[in-house]
Amino acid sequence: MSLENDSFLKIADTITNTYLEKSERKIAGFYCTYIPEEILDAGGFFPYRIRATGNEDTELADTYMVRFTCSFVRSTLNLALMGEYDFLDGLFICNSCDHSRRMFEIFDLVVFKRENFTKEVPRFYISLPHIISEEGFQWFYQELKELKENIENAYNLSITEDALNISIDLYNKNRRLMRKIYDLRALDEPKINGTDALRMAMANSSVPKEVANPELERILKSITNSPGIDTTNRKRILLLGSVVDNIQFTKLVEDSGAIIISDNLCFGNRTIVDDIDEDKSVDPLARIALRLYYRLSCPRMMDDHPRRLEFIKKEIEKGKIDGVILQRINNCDLHGCDNMLFEHELKDLEIPVFNIDRESFQSDATRLQTRIEAFLEMIM
Amino acid sequence: MNSNIANNKIIPYEMVLKSIRSTGELVERILPNGELDALRIGSKYIGNAVRDAVEKAKEGWPIIGHHFAFQREYLYCFDCVPVCVEGTSYLLSALLPDGIERYYDLMANWGHPFHTCSSQKGVMGMTLDNLFQFDAIITPTAPCDNTYASYPFFESKNIPLILPDLPFLHEEKSYKYYAEQIKLSLERLGEIIGQKPDYERMRNHIKYENETYKVQMELLELRKATPCPVENLFNAISAGIAVFASGTQDKLKFYQEYLEIAKKRYKRKQSYGIDEKIRSIWPYMLIFFDLSLCEFLDRELGMTILFDIFNYNFSEPVDVSSDLDSLFYDMARRGMNMPMMKESTDFYYSFIENCVNMAKDYSADCYVFTSHVGCKQFGSVPQILREALREECGIPMLMIDLDVGDKRFTSMKIIKDKLSIFAKTLL
Repeated sequence: MSLENDSFLKIADTITNTYLEKSERKIAGFYCTYIPEEILDAGGFFPYRIRATGNEDTELADTYMVRFTCSFVRSTLNLALMGEYDFLDGLFICNSCDHSRRMFEIFDLVVFKRENFTKEVPRFYISLPHIISEEGFQWFYQELKELKENIENAYNLSITEDALNISIDLYNKNRRLMRKIYDLRALDEPKINGTDALRMAMANSSVPKEVANPELERILKSITNSPGIDTTNRKRILLLGSVVDNIQFTKLVEDSGAIIISDNLCFGNRTIVDDIDEDKSVDPLARIALRLYYRLSCPRMMDDHPRRLEFIKKEIEKGKIDGVILQRINNCDLHGCDNMLFEHELKDLEIPVFNIDRESFQSDATRLQTRIEAFLEMIM
Repeated sequence: MNSNIANNKIIPYEMVLKSIRSTGELVERILPNGELDALRIGSKYIGNAVRDAVEKAKEGWPIIGHHFAFQREYLYCFDCVPVCVEGTSYLLSALLPDGIERYYDLMANWGHPFHTCSSQKGVMGMTLDNLFQFDAIITPTAPCDNTYASYPFFESKNIPLILPDLPFLHEEKSYKYYAEQIKLSLERLGEIIGQKPDYERMRNHIKYENETYKVQMELLELRKATPCPVENLFNAISAGIAVFASGTQDKLKFYQEYLEIAKKRYKRKQSYGIDEKIRSIWPYMLIFFDLSLCEFLDRELGMTILFDIFNYNFSEPVDVSSDLDSLFYDMARRGMNMPMMKESTDFYYSFIENCVNMAKDYSADCYVFTSHVGCKQFGSVPQILREALREECGIPMLMIDLDVGDKRFTSMKIIKDKLSIFAKTLL
């Protein structure tokens, strides 16, 4: 079923949306999915994941970020310098990668110092360990406690346990709904394609979850009863790697004779596969920390490659995957090297794999399409 | 242990040894006194350190790869041969006539992205080519994406990888956490190589670093003089010494001997090369693939490199008389304040402020920023720094896009042309 004109998915096509424009809640912008949205939500904020959808030029941002940096982050900076992110009331950054972590300083020194921009926008930073260990978890738990206090002090508010528990339930429900929809992608006749799934994930990160959940329920009901997509002449693809917030890329893959069945992307599975424990006798901050710290990781977690590989293997089996596309935005060292290891490991398992680099915006569609078509033709 | 097998575990060090010996001999035999002093002294002490490593490897001591950000002296709690991954790549890049591009290409063919840091790529390629056989590798989870991204390659080659986690932001809790991580990691490393860490011995090696620190500070002070009595090449050689001889008497002697030379020049108000015309600060790295650039600047342009990132910030000494917990706390603080670690484990406000202050304190005429393709953590710094220097000191900054370890990315001719044209605008 095509959701191309679905009103909820259309939210993904622009940076702003009606809910954002009419919101009475403060808008908390964040780059990385390691930021604990539940704490922001419990504090009365509208958590909004920063993205670069639609940006096709980084002329303004290039002054402040050298050309060896990630074009996704540069694009978001470009939008911010154009004033597109002036709606932010708070900025939340963590040390996810070298490109995005420096936005803490750049927003402070450049974006928020623009002429005629007078709003005070508090910034917050959490330091996330790079390995998975008990000591690392304790560190991260402490970071979340400090973050909560810092938010309370900056905005003169109180984030209660009750509010945290409500937010946890709300977000868990959201993840469950997303997973149910994602499960319908793995059917022999998938109910939605990868492009619509990506738009859904982006829309879901751009509105409050109270708004998203009924919309997801509606979509789930609608597609469950709809006929699936005939995949007879299409290759079933697992898509991995750097952030994708541009449907031109997924459309290019799917228009080349493929259907994206699953992913390990931050606008995708990485955000939804794990839930927070709902045992209310345990400190909610500890439960939020547990989920975030031990969740399906990205390669900024240095010692977790084997677990990421296991996830991929399961997805290949579950989705009857024909081939894997590894993609990275140019200059993304983290995904570039993780993909390098995956390429060898998947080839050892005799799984067709294709490793490409690209820019955040689709500047070289023909080159990519030719290469993707060649890969799909090679899959038996 | 079979000596041939032992030899094979550390072949690049033998390459370093041969190169440094022949370089040292050339300098000794051909050049008159007073020429290339840093290289003359450096060859001797780097040679000593590398020869010692080669001999111990032959005796069967375990080969421990380490990131430059994990202090070599901490590894002397074991009978082991520490091999600095980044330092080995770049020293060989400087010393071998054809560089080490062959090893970068091996990794590129294996799928390693072109935009990753060549400092790791070199030794990764050598490992892929079986030139190194590490018994274990230790790296803090810092300073950059390249570290997190590239080191898992070694694990994929079945080399045990030990990762003391290093948090972002310089706070008391960070030092405490990292101190615990260093201790746990050394214990883990000991289990892997079948040795118990001898912390008393480690203290003795840290003492050499404490002594060296005093000389480094004295030398840094001398550089305020006009003309600067320290030659450009010293910056590169001292980085090499830090990589190969930290925690040893060789490093201390290198600094002590060079300090005497610099003092003599200072008393005579003598510069190295032609008269000093331009005083530059390189807040990031030098260019390693062709160190003759240092001589070109000294002798052709009269441009002094007052210091690069490895030569302007030195972390404070470790109190070696304290109990173990305090010792590790100091070690952690030292580790987080080492060059490049200091800048990458904190917001860059203090880096900008330091650069502005250094420009004033050292009477710099300009900054030269080598924008290294591998280094994303510095990717959003140059323009902010340029604006700060212009507004607060009235001096310009030249930025050169390059790979400091790969001559193919930006050729030396282009680099020299850019510097020459920049110099003309300053005179």
